[in-house]
Amino acid sequence: MSNSTSIGVKEGIDLKPKQGYLEETVPPYTPFMAMEEASRCLLCYNPLCSEGCPAGTNPGDFIRAIRFKNFKGAAEIIRSNNILGGVCARVCPYEKTCEEACARSGIDTPIHIGQLQRFVTDYEKTTGFKALDPPPATKEKVAMIGSGPASLSAAATLAMKGYKVTIFEEKEKAGGVLSYGIVPSRLPQYVVDEEIEHVTDLGVEIKHNTKVGRDITIDDLKNEGYEAFFIGAGMQVSATFDVPGSDLEGVTTALEYLAAARSSGGKSDIGTHVVVIGGGDVALDCATTARLLGAEQVTVLYRRTREEAPASRLELSHGESLGINFAYTFSPAEFQGENGKVKIVKANGTRSNSAMKLEADKVIFAIGQKPEDISKVVSDIGLDSKGFVVTDDKGKTSIPGVFVAGDVASGSAKTVVHSVQGGKIAAESIDEYLKKGGE
Amino acid sequence: MAKHADLSIDFLGFKCENPFFLSSSPVSSSYDMCARFLDAGGGGVFYKTLTTTIPEECSPRFDAQRKEATPFIAFKNMEQTSDKPYQENLDMMKQLKEDYPNKLIIGSIMGMDEDNWEQMARDVTATGVDMIELNFSCPQMTYEGMGSDVGANLELIDTYVKAARRGSHLPLIAKMTPNVEKMEPSAEAAIKAGANGLSTINTIKSITGLDFDSYTALPVINGKSSISGLSGKATKPIALRFIANMAQDMNLQGVPISGIGGIETWEDAAEFLMLGARNVQFTTSVMQYGYRIVEDMISGLSIYLAEKGFEKLEDFIGIALKNIIPADDLERDFKILPQINYDKCVGCARCYVSCMDGAHQAIDWDNEKRKPTIKEDVCVGCQLCLQVCPVYDCITPGKVLFKEEDQFGKGSLSEWKENASNKRDIIVGMYDWI
Ligand SMILES: Cc1cc2nc3c(=O)[nH]c(=O)nc-3n(C[C@H](O)[C@H](O)[C@H](O)COP(=O)(O)OP(=O)(O)OC[C@H]3O[C@@H](n4cnc5c(N)ncnc54)[C@H](O)[C@@H]3O)c2cc1C
Ligand SMILES: Cc1cc2nc3c(=O)[nH]c(=O)nc-3n(C[C@H](O)[C@H](O)[C@H](O)COP(=O)(O)O)c2cc1C
Repeated sequence: MSNSTSIGVKEGIDLKPKQGYLEETVPPYTPFMAMEEASRCLLCYNPLCSEGCPAGTNPGDFIRAIRFKNFKGAAEIIRSNNILGGVCARVCPYEKTCEEACARSGIDTPIHIGQLQRFVTDYEKTTGFKALDPPPATKEKVAMIGSGPASLSAAATLAMKGYKVTIFEEKEKAGGVLSYGIVPSRLPQYVVDEEIEHVTDLGVEIKHNTKVGRDITIDDLKNEGYEAFFIGAGMQVSATFDVPGSDLEGVTTALEYLAAARSSGGKSDIGTHVVVIGGGDVALDCATTARLLGAEQVTVLYRRTREEAPASRLELSHGESLGINFAYTFSPAEFQGENGKVKIVKANGTRSNSAMKLEADKVIFAIGQKPEDISKVVSDIGLDSKGFVVTDDKGKTSIPGVFVAGDVASGSAKTVVHSVQGGKIAAESIDEYLKKGGE
Repeated sequence: MAKHADLSIDFLGFKCENPFFLSSSPVSSSYDMCARFLDAGGGGVFYKTLTTTIPEECSPRFDAQRKEATPFIAFKNMEQTSDKPYQENLDMMKQLKEDYPNKLIIGSIMGMDEDNWEQMARDVTATGVDMIELNFSCPQMTYEGMGSDVGANLELIDTYVKAARRGSHLPLIAKMTPNVEKMEPSAEAAIKAGANGLSTINTIKSITGLDFDSYTALPVINGKSSISGLSGKATKPIALRFIANMAQDMNLQGVPISGIGGIETWEDAAEFLMLGARNVQFTTSVMQYGYRIVEDMISGLSIYLAEKGFEKLEDFIGIALKNIIPADDLERDFKILPQINYDKCVGCARCYVSCMDGAHQAIDWDNEKRKPTIKEDVCVGCQLCLQVCPVYDCITPGKVLFKEEDQFGKGSLSEWKENASNKRDIIVGMYDWI
């Protein structure tokens, strides 16, 4: 109170975010808090939260297990349904899934299901409890292309059925977007690494720095005895659109910007005046990254209104609390530079004749991603007009023995939890295919 | 799936799939209800107590002991025996045993006189169930000479066990009342008369609360109320003490005990097992949460036992008994001072308030900094502060001080010395579930 001079005027507000880029924003529950929160659960009959989870993580059952002091049983429920339980606990859009379905909302606020899930997966770690006990790998060899959530989930499901699974990942680290995209303040790297360990503990092997279609081909893998293939290649290309000046130094894409920051532990070139183009969670991740790493001014340009923005409300308000500027209904018209480096962003109103000129030494396109050319991985595979792999609802592709899920699958909902589910379903199809002797 | 231990265990010659049973009460009062519990994974059922005539019941018949915002922690009921016709119950029990041959099905009876006990024992035996529980313990029977009146009367126990024995060759389990100072004499009388096992506790005579307009106890039945049986989580400590007493009683060695009283979680159940019960029964938790609670009991106990390396449940039964000793045999030559973790402390001063008003005024409170400090010279190590602290892991057991021996071999209060080497063995059991 001492530094406010008159009512309504705050002086000396520290505009720097208090939290670090590598620190998790939301503190974990203590066991007391977890018990307290689980006690708020109404323990509904046929609970809707469980139906609300796209991956069938079964919150109704694991919260009941917490409530009845069966923490390890809770871990078993989570892991056996969702191998990435600790990741989903942190990045899932609960407000649109399990928590939206929670009956407690009829009284006050929904149970913090994500936080409880995080408590259980943390507890699993602290106690060294092994929730899964895989059978020996005696069945056929299966190859997974990519190591994102879809592949990890499919690999775990198959390993639990006794298949020999190998994941091929072009990058140095496994995890896909988990390791190269999402901001560490929402999903620290140690969590990703531990979750991947859950998968490798089941006997799944990961071959890093190996791009299928470049370093090794499907035919090579067939010769090595692989009998089924899973494509979990995700969307590795950032979309852009034509703005004059896009080739200036300092103009970049979300995936590049985030990957550089995340893999250097926040030591990449962040920029001082940063402009982010887009209104989804990826744009928010870019803006948050910039802000948490010390960019002085961060502005998000979005062509529609806040209400229409696809980003989660939680992330939007978190961004606002960090002092990020939001310019709704604006779209970039031109980037101007000096000595080949971007200096100015000119933007026009999309719903008015307004115009705006922003100083910028970093401009980030965050308007969506698309897959790489998958026909280079599996030739002649059926793709839709946008390059996504065509599939039925069981993860089958146009080529027998080749399966798909996650972001690269045509028509999939592009989230971690949907990718986990897609991976589970495709794994069941692979099992069925191999049981029938590859037909 | 994680590693799970096998939970099967013998009870009076029957190999039970696991030690989890419904106790005799409304939760086990029909074929359908028992079947749903068995389908949910239960090891067996003690069927609702039969009498040959259906008792008159009152309405309402329940009240609950609440504590602020928690779900109710104890439950008072005025209910008597089964509200279904005698023959219908016998038919349902017969069907249950036929459909669930691998589950332990136990009939429960309460007679009015010797002949009645004998006849019921004979009728229940004819249904094919595995055993019979003799209900000597319902505290709210409306007929004299029934229920807990019997459980406290050694002569009646003797007469009725013998009567039931005449009517049946099956194992007989005497269900004992906790409304006595010592349960052992009644239990011994039952065993001597021919019972083969014991189950306890039935409900505790109680008044849970009063109505502030009609000046009557709850539940109010047309302006009046009665003392009647209390069950549920809050009664567990009392039940556990009866189990320990009986399991340690010299004359009851080898008599199988089925533990009852306030069991909600696998941990509650495990506590009864550690004190010598071979299996457990529950009612109130099912009334509150449904049969599904048995799923977490099975899961939690089997994971725990596997992690602890128990090959069979048998090895776990009674494992704590040797550590329950008379109070005068406890070591009293050390004290464990609490320590405050200031990173966690939120400055609520609950420890200070409790120590000031409920203990030894051994905490200083700095109101400016909102910071409690333990006065080590005054603190007696009672650890009330640790019990009341609302923050996890904030106040924990700290320094251990030992009494120095004086020339008479006795410690005096002024001579407490630190000796860290003993500390590890002494500080256990605080957050043992974490
Ligand atoms: C910045 C960002 C933030 C996000 N935040 C959230 C969020 O908060 N919550 C949420 O639910 N979802 C979020 N998403 C979406 C989510 O991350 C994706 O839906 C999910 O990661 C898709 O999983 P996937 O396995 O299909 O692909 P990816 O995670 O993209 O993984 C694909 C992997 O395959 C590898 N690969 C590709 N081709 C080959 C090849 N030929 N050979 C070998 N390896 C190859 C890639 O290197 C990559 O590692 C976010 C996405 C982004 C980009
Ligand atoms: C509503 C109600 C009815 C009961 N009826 C019987 C009965 O008919 N026969 C019996 O032996 N015990 C009866 N009991 C006692 C229970 O079987 C059990 O011994 C007691 O409730 C303690 O266990 P709990 O704390 O798990 O409920 C009844 C208990 C309740 C709450």
